[in-house]
Amino acid sequence: MATLRVNGQTREIGDLDPSTPLLWVLRDELNLLGTKYGCGIAQCGACTVHLNGAPVRSCQIPVGNLTNEEITTVEGLAAADGTLTALQQAWIENDVPQCGYCQAGQLMSATALLRDNPNPSDADIDAAMSGNICRCATYVRIRRAIKAAAGATATAFYDATAQGARV
Amino acid sequence: MNMQINSQLTSTEAFFQEQLKPAAPEAPALPPLNRRQFFKLSGIAGGGLVLGGVSAGIAPKALAQQADAAAAVEVHTLSPYVQIKPDGRINIFSKNPECGQGIKTGLPLIIAEELDCAWTDVDVVQADIDRSKYGNQFAGGSTSTPTNWMPMRQAGATARAMILAAAAQQLNIDVAELSTANTKVIHAASEREWPYSEFAELAATMPVPEADTLTLKTTEQFTLLGKRHSGVDNRAIVTGLPLFGADTVLPDMLYASYTKCPQIGGLAVAFNEEHIKGLPGVVDAFILAPFDEPRAFLAAAGNGAMFGGVAIVATSTWAAIKAKRELEVAWDTSKAETGTWEDLRERALAAVNQDGPMEVVNKGDVAGAMQSAAKVISAVYEYPYVTHAQLEPEVTTALYREGKIEVWAPSQMPLNGEAGLAAIMSVPAENAIMHQTRIGGGFGRKLGNDYVFEAAAIARRMEGRPVKLQWTREDTTTHDYYRPGGLHSYKAALDGNGNLTAWQDHFFSHTLDGKAPMFSADLGPAIFPQDVLTNVKVTQTLFQNAMPVGPMRAPSSNAFGFTFQSFLHELAVAAGKDHVEFLLGVLGEPRLANPEGRGSMHTGRARNVISAVAERAGWGKQMPPNRALGLSFYFSHSGYVAQIADVEVRANKEVKVHKVWAVADYGFIHNMSAAESQIEGGIIDGLSQLFNAKITFINGVIQQQNFHQYPLLRIPQAPEIDTFFLQPEEFPPTGSGEPSLPPLLAAVNNAIFNATGERVRKMPLSESGYTLV
Repeated sequence: MATLRVNGQTREIGDLDPSTPLLWVLRDELNLLGTKYGCGIAQCGACTVHLNGAPVRSCQIPVGNLTNEEITTVEGLAAADGTLTALQQAWIENDVPQCGYCQAGQLMSATALLRDNPNPSDADIDAAMSGNICRCATYVRIRRAIKAAAGATATAFYDATAQGARV
Repeated sequence: MNMQINSQLTSTEAFFQEQLKPAAPEAPALPPLNRRQFFKLSGIAGGGLVLGGVSAGIAPKALAQQADAAAAVEVHTLSPYVQIKPDGRINIFSKNPECGQGIKTGLPLIIAEELDCAWTDVDVVQADIDRSKYGNQFAGGSTSTPTNWMPMRQAGATARAMILAAAAQQLNIDVAELSTANTKVIHAASEREWPYSEFAELAATMPVPEADTLTLKTTEQFTLLGKRHSGVDNRAIVTGLPLFGADTVLPDMLYASYTKCPQIGGLAVAFNEEHIKGLPGVVDAFILAPFDEPRAFLAAAGNGAMFGGVAIVATSTWAAIKAKRELEVAWDTSKAETGTWEDLRERALAAVNQDGPMEVVNKGDVAGAMQSAAKVISAVYEYPYVTHAQLEPEVTTALYREGKIEVWAPSQMPLNGEAGLAAIMSVPAENAIMHQTRIGGGFGRKLGNDYVFEAAAIARRMEGRPVKLQWTREDTTTHDYYRPGGLHSYKAALDGNGNLTAWQDHFFSHTLDGKAPMFSADLGPAIFPQDVLTNVKVTQTLFQNAMPVGPMRAPSSNAFGFTFQSFLHELAVAAGKDHVEFLLGVLGEPRLANPEGRGSMHTGRARNVISAVAERAGWGKQMPPNRALGLSFYFSHSGYVAQIADVEVRANKEVKVHKVWAVADYGFIHNMSAAESQIEGGIIDGLSQLFNAKITFINGVIQQQNFHQYPLLRIPQAPEIDTFFLQPEEFPPTGSGEPSLPPLLAAVNNAIFNATGERVRKMPLSESGYTLV
C-alpha cells in the first residue's frame, strides 16, 4: 500500500490512480479539507501546500510522482497542542479573511516567505504572495498581518485604521 | 411633456427591496417550543467556536474524534437565537448565509449586545434553514444588516428580559433591583452577581415578553457594537477546519461532475457512454434533461431550473473530473443561444444617435433644455459581460432517499433553493431540505441555485447515496449568470453658468421574453443624477439575447458607476468647474431626491461624503507629473460612498493606483472591521473589473475558461486604502457589501483623465491599452 508523509505522519493512501493530483488525495482520501480547489491550473494558489518546505500548487503534483517528501498542509501549521503560529494569530487579530476560501493557500505562501525572510519588505511580500488570488480582495490585510507576524511596526488591528465619526 | 419621475422600481430593484421586508412579521421571533433539550456539542474547537453538527454540512470524518469525546450536554433554549449551556457559555444562532460579508459575526454581535453578555462567552452557531423560526434567510442586496438590525436587538433583549425575570423569581428580589453586564445578573444593593447560567433552566420556561415591553440600549450604552471584531470563523479558517460547501463529506459519498453544452442552452443527445462508464472510478454516467427556464435567473434561483447535460458519477472527485475530460457529447443546438457580443455591440453603436424604442423615464422638457443650452455634450460608454469568479466553484452535496431530498450547499438564497428542490424533485415542500454551509465567495453567483438543482437531479439517479457535485473552474466561467454588458449613449445640456440642465440616455440591454429587460439588465429612474434633475429622458433598446445574466455585487451599479460618474466628470470639465463643486451643485440642497420613492437618495448625506473625502485626500493639492487625483460618488443599496483615487500613469500606459480614500455613510457601523473589509474588498474588486474583467461570447459560446483568460487582481496591484465612516445618528444602519464598488470605477477613470487628458469610455481599460501595475 502506498503512503505519503503528511504533517509529520505517514498516511496510507491505498491504490490510487497515479495521475491523481495531490490536492484531491488530501481532500478526498485523507480528509484534509483545508486545502482548496480553485482553478486546477496553478493560477489561483488556493491549493498551496509545502513540499519539503517549499510552497507548491498541489493541483499540479500527481501523487504518483511523490515518494518520501514531507508534505505540510494548513492543518499542520499549528502545534499539536493547538498553539497557533504567529502568522495564524496575526491573521485572526487583523481579521484578514472575508469568505476565507483562499486563506489556507495564502497562509502556506506567507509561512514559507517568513521562514526564508523574517522581515520582508512590501516588495518581498508582493513577490512571494502574487501567486495567491484572493477574490474577496483581502490583500491590504494580508500585507498588514504578514508584517505584524514579522514583528515589524505594522498598525495593530485594534489601533484601528478605518475610523468613524458620529455626525 | 411633464411626467412625474416614475417611482416604480426596476424588477431587479423590486426583488431586492422585497428582501428588505423585516424578518420579524413572518418570523414569530420566539415560537413556543420545547426549550429543554439536549444539544450535541459536536465540534468545539479551541477559542470557543462551535461548528454546528453534521447536519450543518460539516464533515463527519473530521468531527468523528471530537464527537466521540463530546458528551451530550443539557442546554436551555430561550429562543431560536439563544441557548445557555451549563458551563455558562452562550450559543447564539446566526440566521443568514455567510459569504464573506461578515454576517455570521455581525448578527450575533447585535444579539449579544442587547443580551448584555461578554463576546468571549459566546459560541456562534450557524442556524439551519427554517423560515418559521428565522424568517427570510438571505445574503444579497446588502440587506442582512438593515432587515435584521431591530429583530436581532429584540431577540437579545427578549432573552435578557427572560433571564432577569427568572433571576428575580429565583432570588426573590424585585426585578427593578437587578441589572446585567458581561453575562452576569447583578444585584448592586447587596454587591452580589451570578452568571446567567444560574437562572438558565427557569429562564427557559419564562413567558416571552411582548416586543413593546423591551428596553433597548441607547447607542451610548453599547459595549460591543461600533468596535472592531474579528470574524467568528477565523480560527477555523486559519487551521483548515471544514466549513465550506466544498468541505461537506457524508458517509458512503460519491462524487460527480456535470457537463453542459458550450453553446448555452444546447441539449445533450448522446455521448460516448461505453467509454466513460469503463473508465477507472466511474460508477455511472447519464444525460439529464433541462428543467424549467434556466436562462432566467429567478427560475435558476427558485424554480428548480437547470440546464441539461451529462453527469458522471465516480468514486472520487478526480475520477469524475478526469472522465469529464474524455467526454464526447452530441449536442442538439437547434434551440441554443446564438448571440455574439461583438455583433450586439456593433448594432448598438449603429443606433447611438437615435432614441431607443422603449421609454424608461421622460420628465420635464429635455428638448427645450437642449435647445437653449450653452453646451451640449454627448458620449457613448460601454462595458462587457463579466463573470463572478468566486473562488469556490459551485458545489453541492445531495442525498435523495425515501422521497426526500436533502442538500448541503453554499447558497446565498437557501429558502428559494428549497422551493426549487421541491419543484424539480416533485416532492412536497417539507421533503426538500437545504442545509447552509459557509460560502466560499458569492458576489451574487450563489443567489442562483442551479448547481444545487443539478446535484439533486444527479442524486435522484443514485438514490440512497450522497453525491457531491463539483463544478470545475471552467464550468464556473462558462456557465455563470453574468453581469450583462451594455452601452449608454448620453447627451447632456449645460447652461451658461455651467449648470447641468438636462440629461438624456439611450440604454442598450438584453431581453429573454422580448418585453422586459433580463434580471439585473435593467435601468430605473432612481439613479443619480436622473433623480435630482428636472429634465430627463431615458430610452432603451433591448436585444433579443438570452445569455444568462444575474446579479453581481452591486447589480447595475457595478456598470453604471463607471458610465454615469465618468460622464458627470466630463460635464464638470466642459462646464469649467472643479469636480467637487460641480457634483455638489448638481446635488443641490439637502433633501430626499424623491420623497415618494422607496429607498430614495438623501442629497445631504451625498454631499457630506463627497466633502469629507475631498478633505481627507487633500483635493486640489499639487501632484507630481503624470499623477492625479480622481473623484467619484455613488449611491446604491441605501449606502453613500465617495472615493478619491491617487493614480500615476507611467510609460506604455502602465497605471499605478497609489491610494484610494473612501468615505462612506451606512448609518451606524456595528462592526467596524467588517465594514472596513467591505470597503477594501469593493475597491480592489472594482479595480479588477475596471482594468481586466471581460467575458465574450460567439454564437452563444463563452470564450473564456479559466483565470489565465480572466485575470483577477493580485496583491502587487492592491493600493493603500484609507477608510472613514460618517455615522449620522438619525438614520438606521444599512448594508456594506456592495456600495463601495461602484464609485471606484470612475474615481480611477477620472484620475486617468486628470493625469493624461485621455477620456476612456469603455471597460475594461485594458482594451484601451492600460495595464494596472
